[in-house]
Amino acid sequence: MLKKILSWFYTAVVFIFLYAPIAVLMAMAFNESQYNALPFKFSMRWFEALSQNTRLIDATKNSIYLAAITGVICVILATALMLGSRDTSSKIKALVNSVVMLPLTIPWLIMGLSLLLLLRALGLDKNFVMLLIGHVVISLPYAVLILSARMQDMDKSIEEASYSLGANEWTTFRRVIFPMISPAMLAGGFMAFMISFDNFVLSYFLIPTGTTTLPIEIYSSIKFGFTPEINAISTIILVLSLAIIGIIAAIMGSSLKNLIR
Amino acid sequence: MKKKVLLMSPAMFILFAFAIVPLFIMLYYSFLSDSAVAKFTLENYINFFSKGFYLKLTWKTIKMSIIVTLICIVIAYPMAYIMAKVIEKGKNLILLLIIIPFWTSQLVRAYSWLVFLRDGGVLAQFLNKIGLIATTDMGILFTSKAAIIALVHIFFPYMVITIYMALEKLDNSVIEASKSLGAKPIETFRRIILPLSRPGIITGAILVFVPCLGSFVEPRILGGVNGSVIGTVIEDQFFEIFGWNFGSAIAFILLAMVLLSMGGMSLLLNKEK
Repeated sequence: MLKKILSWFYTAVVFIFLYAPIAVLMAMAFNESQYNALPFKFSMRWFEALSQNTRLIDATKNSIYLAAITGVICVILATALMLGSRDTSSKIKALVNSVVMLPLTIPWLIMGLSLLLLLRALGLDKNFVMLLIGHVVISLPYAVLILSARMQDMDKSIEEASYSLGANEWTTFRRVIFPMISPAMLAGGFMAFMISFDNFVLSYFLIPTGTTTLPIEIYSSIKFGFTPEINAISTIILVLSLAIIGIIAAIMGSSLKNLIR
Repeated sequence: MKKKVLLMSPAMFILFAFAIVPLFIMLYYSFLSDSAVAKFTLENYINFFSKGFYLKLTWKTIKMSIIVTLICIVIAYPMAYIMAKVIEKGKNLILLLIIIPFWTSQLVRAYSWLVFLRDGGVLAQFLNKIGLIATTDMGILFTSKAAIIALVHIFFPYMVITIYMALEKLDNSVIEASKSLGAKPIETFRRIILPLSRPGIITGAILVFVPCLGSFVEPRILGGVNGSVIGTVIEDQFFEIFGWNFGSAIAFILLAMVLLSMGGMSLLLNKEK
């Protein structure tokens, strides 16, 4: 019994550590004080200020735009990759796996720098295409992980039945495989969207001069003096992230377990 | 077979051309001199290894990563043990709640510690009220401690998950057997549970230590003037000083450290298996 009580106490302490800073951040978004100071006085002024802040709104639009394109490209690439690699030899699978997971092991700082140097080697200025490519490279592993987790659950015999009933490959893909993996494609797309939307490091190195994304704006605000407007936008980001995680979890259901195996 | 290659090639091409090739370009630049007519030189590397500043910096980064990893193990182990062996209901919910912050923006979380640890902030006032500190000054923000706290916050979910998976696999009957043979709880832990969960600890250590080596956002935002680590110095080289070739060399040394530590820990892991 004592063991149980101590366990729940410890769990509570861990959760306070995990959530207290985030909770305070969100609470302070609704606090009147300019310096995140107590006592707490409810106010919507920072959200109102946010709605007037065209710079942050433009940055948000850019981030959504970039993340949406990244999401779509990643889903297409990841789906093709998974379909192509699933019946290959274990050697090819291992090769594919290590190449795909490479961007997860190399610090993003180095990925960003090396792409910047690629631009220099090619004699190009920073541009949107390279920014997009950078985002695709780092988001792709996550989309692949989600898709492969789902494909492990797929029953191969349904597909074989389709072939033996005389359907060709395209028909089988369209009418059998696609309906089975489309939820995972959606979940993988959302995942890639979120990774790209939140990504600061890659954008920081590759963003063309004069444009900006939301994480870059937040970083420069933190560095050069911030107001609780940052709390307000952070609160919105956190709520959105939670919604997306919820969507991914709902779509994936029991396949989520394959992810942490 | 042709169709398979066709399906795989777009993703493989993008990863090859924009994740692997750029690393070699970085390696190339790291051997160039800064003179008007760039020529091949070892100067950048010699510079790094002959100056006390950079060696100290390297050690500081490694030390910070080790501290973060150790704190993660200490906090995560009991949590994982509780989830795997003590409670029966609500495991999945706890797991979910531990993972969720992990999927929120890294910057937002770093910023949240900036607000939370501030002198005269919510935490400081709370600790002052319950009498733990005399004034409402914390003195933590803008020291390396703040960066370490934020890094632990970011990476310890990894550690919980990997240790949890190792403990979950551990058969309860082994623990029972040890107990019924008369071993004290502490001995059961030291001789049965800990050795059998070591692969989880090592995997978690890889997942925490490696990204810590390459971190620069948390040390930059929370670490203050003395918060520089390899990551922030690389950032300075590219954005403030424009020493791209030297920056490339430091980045490559960082990459080597990452790969070496991953290789070393995977070796340890294979030994365990």
